[in-house]
Amino acid sequence: MMRRSLSSWLLVASLASLTALVGAPRSAQAQKKKTDDKTKAAQPKAGAQPKSGQPAKEGEEPEMTFEEGEQPAPEGQDQEGQAQPSGEPEPEPTGDAGGEIDLGADPTAGKEDKLSAESRVSWQDIVVVVRKPFLKQRRLEILPQWGVTMNDNIIRHYQFTGQLNFFLTDVLAVGVEGQYYIKDLREPYDLVARQARRLPTVNKYNYGAALNFHYVPIYGKFAILDEHIIHWETFFTAGVGFTQSEVIPRDPAYQPFTNFLITPNVGASMRFFVTKFITVNAGIRDYIFVDKFEAVGRTEVNGDAAKENADSSLINNVVFQAGLSFWFPTSFEYTTFR
Amino acid sequence: MHRFAPVSAALLASLLAAPLAQADRKNPLEGQPAVRHRLLLVKQRFEFAPAFESSVNADFQHTFSGGLKLEYHLSDMFSIGAVGFYGKGFNTKLNSRIVDDLPETTDEGDPTPTHDEWVEHLNEIQAHGAGYVTITPWYGKLAAFGKFFVNFDFYFSGGVAFAKLKNDCCSFDTDPAPGGDLEADPPVLADNDPNNDAAINDGTRIGAYLGGGIHLFLANWMALDLTVRSYLFSDNPSGLDFNADLAVTDDDNRFLNHLFMGVGLSFFLPADVERTP
Repeated sequence: MMRRSLSSWLLVASLASLTALVGAPRSAQAQKKKTDDKTKAAQPKAGAQPKSGQPAKEGEEPEMTFEEGEQPAPEGQDQEGQAQPSGEPEPEPTGDAGGEIDLGADPTAGKEDKLSAESRVSWQDIVVVVRKPFLKQRRLEILPQWGVTMNDNIIRHYQFTGQLNFFLTDVLAVGVEGQYYIKDLREPYDLVARQARRLPTVNKYNYGAALNFHYVPIYGKFAILDEHIIHWETFFTAGVGFTQSEVIPRDPAYQPFTNFLITPNVGASMRFFVTKFITVNAGIRDYIFVDKFEAVGRTEVNGDAAKENADSSLINNVVFQAGLSFWFPTSFEYTTFR
Repeated sequence: MHRFAPVSAALLASLLAAPLAQADRKNPLEGQPAVRHRLLLVKQRFEFAPAFESSVNADFQHTFSGGLKLEYHLSDMFSIGAVGFYGKGFNTKLNSRIVDDLPETTDEGDPTPTHDEWVEHLNEIQAHGAGYVTITPWYGKLAAFGKFFVNFDFYFSGGVAFAKLKNDCCSFDTDPAPGGDLEADPPVLADNDPNNDAAINDGTRIGAYLGGGIHLFLANWMALDLTVRSYLFSDNPSGLDFNADLAVTDDDNRFLNHLFMGVGLSFFLPADVERTP
């Protein structure tokens, strides 16, 4: 009896193993077939005519045709399934992150709905939207940056900045920024003195700081060499702060003087998502201020006295900036269903 | 005992086969294109674009120019093309200050150039352009304000640049032998005054071209073309003595980068586009 029982167990186990071994590819094929069927159904049929009866024009993007029981994509998604950015915060986690997703289930539905959803395959159940690969909401961005002035042909400034930005939502952030400048006199500074016998009036910038707001209206993705998909976004920045500038005296015997300048700034930048906690940033920022320059006919040796007679001029300090962002917390969980 | 042999063998075989089956399993996306059903917006299409271009951070003369870009896209990634611009120079803020401050005449031995000597030595870029090859490695799609969806691509170009430079020299008497000519008969001594030397910063220049840009497709047959172009060629923008030998010679020319930013409206022919499988 014992022998019989053991042999039966062995037989059952081996049959189960064989079934699993043989059945796995079949079930995978069946699953693939199901998915293919769904995909085929989701794709426009060859030669399909628009419902309006107008023939589809050649070269136009084929439009999605919905059959009975189909529903259009939910609001916030485009026809090709790309999620649209919105200023609304994501809901709380639901625990589906990283787990198996039941494509046939409608998690927002009640029990009755769930039962009916399980018994049918609706267009709402088909996952066509790839989730954004990077969420910023309630994360802190630490952004060291390097920059260079773009619009001064006498003096070039290299800018080293550090930014701390906190994202209130996925598209809106508030942050602080500190800047440190290193000057580099360009070729015309010497040429003008030597060729035109004129000494240029030049100020250098020492440091600055700003309180900024960032808004992300443009989100996109691109393929590199038809192999790798990179997600990116464009954001606009506006803020206000200060800059300290310092006069470079035309006559080295004269004292320099410094200026404290209220500095609004505006800018546009791009952010490329590399990992879950690293992004690459590049953009242009315009720091705007009214600077005080050494007067043309300066006679005062003392810096403070010269400052009282200084000439003022509106300056747009346009800077190209590039840097690497580090995000904290270093990871995030999705809070929406697939 | 032998009654269990086949069963045991089957069990052993299944246990051994399982990892092998897993090893055979491959990522179904391996080797597949990154994007399917993609519109081939440039492949084997002819592009022409009326365009505007402005110099960036020029020393003495800004150049504003209008022109045309012609390009044929051999494939989705490679293309050949040419751009040509005709422009007009305008004083930079720096140059305006210098010009306004220079005297009409100077005393003998004063190294300061007169107003006319300075202005007439300056050159401007009357025409410029390039022939180039382009690679378009990036393409994508963006959403603006959650409402507007636009296809775009990034491209990078390299090739040969040309420029036609012009100056207004000279209404004053020029030095016949800048820097002197000791081999002449009789020998001519250098006057050590570069301001009365003829400007030699005009004519045609050939150099290198580097560029990059982005197409924002407003329709399948039309795109906004935003560009940054760098024309590198030998130049002496001020037209005066650069190397401090107190004479204006060819040695004062040096290889300079002339940076331009531009915008154009590209039209693509044929108007129909293909789609990838």
